[in-house]
Amino acid sequence: MKALIIGGGLGGLLTATRLVKAGHRVEVFERLALIGGRFINLDYKGYTLTSGALHMIPHGSRGPLASMLRQVGADVKIVPSSPPATLRIPDNGSFRDMSFEKFSSPLSLTDKLKLFYLTTKSRFVKPGDESFKDWFFPFIKDTWLIKFANAYCGWALSMRCDEIPAREVLAIIDNMRRYGGPGVPMGGCGAIINALEQVILSGGGIIHTNSQVDQILIVDGRAVGVEAGGGTILGDVVISDIGHQATAQLYDHPGSDEFREYMASLESIKPSAGIKISLGANRPLIEHSGILLTPYARRVNGINEVTNIDPSLAPPGKHLVMSHQAIQSDDIQSEIELGLKDLEDIFHKEDYEVLMVQTYRNGWPVNRAGSGSDLGNTTPIRGLYIVGDGAKGKGGIEVEGVALGVENTIGLLQNFKTNYTT
Amino acid sequence: MRISTECVGCGQCVVFCPSEAISVWGKASISDNCTQCGVCIQYCPLGAIREEEA
Ligand SMILES: Cc1cc2nc3c(=O)[nH]c(=O)nc-3n(C[C@H](O)[C@H](O)[C@H](O)COP(=O)(O)OP(=O)(O)OC[C@H]3O[C@@H](n4cnc5c(N)ncnc54)[C@H](O)[C@@H]3O)c2cc1C
Ligand code: SF4
Ligand code: SF4
Repeated sequence: MKALIIGGGLGGLLTATRLVKAGHRVEVFERLALIGGRFINLDYKGYTLTSGALHMIPHGSRGPLASMLRQVGADVKIVPSSPPATLRIPDNGSFRDMSFEKFSSPLSLTDKLKLFYLTTKSRFVKPGDESFKDWFFPFIKDTWLIKFANAYCGWALSMRCDEIPAREVLAIIDNMRRYGGPGVPMGGCGAIINALEQVILSGGGIIHTNSQVDQILIVDGRAVGVEAGGGTILGDVVISDIGHQATAQLYDHPGSDEFREYMASLESIKPSAGIKISLGANRPLIEHSGILLTPYARRVNGINEVTNIDPSLAPPGKHLVMSHQAIQSDDIQSEIELGLKDLEDIFHKEDYEVLMVQTYRNGWPVNRAGSGSDLGNTTPIRGLYIVGDGAKGKGGIEVEGVALGVENTIGLLQNFKTNYTT
Repeated sequence: MRISTECVGCGQCVVFCPSEAISVWGKASISDNCTQCGVCIQYCPLGAIREEEA
């Protein structure tokens, strides 16, 4: 089988490695001069910043992404963060840090019991479409729990707890129990991209950069090729790493009812928007390699310091500190200012410089489909599949969701291959 | 070079500009240091950087 892959982001490259390893022919088309999408290392002033991610793998060395990397023989070491996360709580003009596992300790005994009851019940009666906030707040009217939930959802998903469906958060909590907490890849997220590139090239796969796909060719309701870089390339399947919506703009739409329904369903996909602020510091600001969640900050949801795991991500003796915040209004300037004020408060009197403020939304968001609005990996066009963070697997945070979606797509492709290709 | 309204402020162009001519704060802006080399165009994920029309 010959697979054509649109987009050389993590989703496209993971799919390419899986297919190359299974003996298929693969060509990846990337519009930019470099591959990796929102998972690239960007060297700046001696620090390793990124094109997107905060150098963190949500379930570390035990999660779906790590297993897939091992499976394809991509040589990357992911070091578990320890502790996974702490919570910073203001305390009499100063602050104290609390362990993540003890998040429920500020709740009253009655509220703790209610929370236990709600989570136990959800194992038997799955929540409907209500938001995570609407799932707990009618029973537990506690502002700490809202702040905690917003910090966690903001850090992990760039969403507020009233934006994300409860069923998705509960699936994420199950995955946290199953796979464990986060980790940092040695060499940063770019090390993963480099390792995948190696696997693809050594398996005979082809990667084209500066090669934008302008059209997907459809014959009799089936994807048969792409127009890219001024030429026509034919293949058995087309796999797109640019989300359902952007992919649908690349081909002529069939007039069927099924297709109209598909196009209508795309309107429910909401990208998540966020701001990342990278700081360079002369001494450690966090002192551990996990996430510092900041439920009491105005905007910042959490911060990490990946140089506590891989010092090479900053110049010798320096530290790289990155904060993330979900964007809460259209006034980007004031969102940035509030984030910077938070960091001044949190790192009061500390010696650091702001390296860069990066904002992500619209066509270059934190996630193309905010968690819970993912639509799956198929399209009404036969032989056209969607991977990446616009088509994540259930309960999969960020790149874990990308890996779960790729795994699912590989399964679908096996059936497709036996039915339609030689 | 001209930055269009499609720019989201992701900062990718900043690190690839050989002349340190770009800064970002919610949106990119280009200073007089720009030599019109065109490198940044290849790295903008949104195609937001274009050559100035003469
Ligand atoms: C601020 C921020 C922080 C994040 N932090 C983390 C984190 O710490 N941990 C984590 O797990 N995840 C994190 N994420 C999410 C993670 O970075 C993304 O989910 C992941 O990188 C998305 O990969 P992708 O393959 O789906 O998409 P992309 O990386 O966007 O890849 C798509 C590729 O397709 C190319 N392309 C687009 N159109 C075309 C076309 N027509 N023809 C050819 N090529 C095309 C693009 O240039 C791009 O390279 C973060 C994201 C952001 C923005
Ligand atoms: S054209 Fe060249 S010098 Fe000018 S901003 Fe772009 S990369 Fe920098
Ligand atoms: S790379 Fe493009 S979108 Fe990103 S800051 Fe530069 S001009 Fe804006």
